[in-house]
Amino acid sequence: MLIRRQLVLTLALMPITFGIWYAADALFAGPAVWLCDLLLSSLYPDIVQGAGLQGANMLLTTQFGETDGQILSAREAGNQIALEINTRLVSYSIAFYAALLTASNLQESIFKFCIGLVWLTGIMGLGLASIAGKDLLLMVGTPFLAAPGVPPADLLAVTYQFNVLLMPTLAPICIWLWQLRGSPLWETLAADIKRASAQR
Amino acid sequence: MTRFLFIFCTVLGSLFAIEMLKPVQEAVIQPFTGFLAALSTALILPFDDTVIAQGRILRDAATGFAVSIEAGCNGVEAAIVLIAGIVAFPASIRHKLVAILAGFFFVQALNIVRIISLFYLGQWNYTVFEWFHLYLWPVLIMLDVLIVFAIYLQWLGKHHTPAQATSC
Repeated sequence: MLIRRQLVLTLALMPITFGIWYAADALFAGPAVWLCDLLLSSLYPDIVQGAGLQGANMLLTTQFGETDGQILSAREAGNQIALEINTRLVSYSIAFYAALLTASNLQESIFKFCIGLVWLTGIMGLGLASIAGKDLLLMVGTPFLAAPGVPPADLLAVTYQFNVLLMPTLAPICIWLWQLRGSPLWETLAADIKRASAQR
Repeated sequence: MTRFLFIFCTVLGSLFAIEMLKPVQEAVIQPFTGFLAALSTALILPFDDTVIAQGRILRDAATGFAVSIEAGCNGVEAAIVLIAGIVAFPASIRHKLVAILAGFFFVQALNIVRIISLFYLGQWNYTVFEWFHLYLWPVLIMLDVLIVFAIYLQWLGKHHTPAQATSC
């Protein structure tokens, strides 16, 4: 009964949480963009110059440029390739998490939400870095892969798939389940788990 | 709990890596994605005879609008999460197999609804299409995985109760 209530309430709350998220997307994406900038410009200073927020997009300025269809260094080309990345592709996890948490009506829910937000920001930062890796692979290609410290293309693809296609929906559920401990819903789930485990 | 998390993460990572292998993509994932497009077309055709499937592409012959079912849109990632959860949870092999098959069916059933809805939403309003495609449907598919897993746990528990009563 409690599980059914949780699911129905989550679905009912989603239009509200997604509406708030959409209206304040830059606010939610800002810390993740800062994290991504810190990560990429310190790990790959030869590839990434910096990243900043422009509306809901992250603008990533690279150290590559392009002349007559040829990828060169920005200094040689006299221009810089910049990538525009939609931060909403990863930040919608916040709206989903907010719906799950609000539907559970937990004690200290604001504090728990803040903790969840910190975790999700870290995951979003990794997601944005993964999108940047995929976009650089497709746009720059060989010069990007040949740069020192860049992982192989297959690893970039798996990382993108994991951090962008999976984590925005899986991470909120994992964080919510972790924070659920001690609540009546958790007791119901624990009883199900106990009964199911005894089945073996 | 630690054991569950360890097995869950290991199976999840392994299945993801396997899914990305080129031979697996060519022999399993791409034909399966093509099958999803064909199945979606077959389901739409009785109501709308302007729809055609071309490989992984679903096209409306009248408007020219088309959707291509790509990696991340075929429900395989969601199914992998469900499989990892089922494998990690202690149960008999038979129960796990039944749950994986049924779970895969339920995830893909919702995914077909998703593909068909996106095909029509895209023809109606592109902004709404993007919203559903990028943000809402991934959440709904993952909620589906959660529901299926919760039902699986209850099903396992119910299977246990009569057996326990008999043994008493």
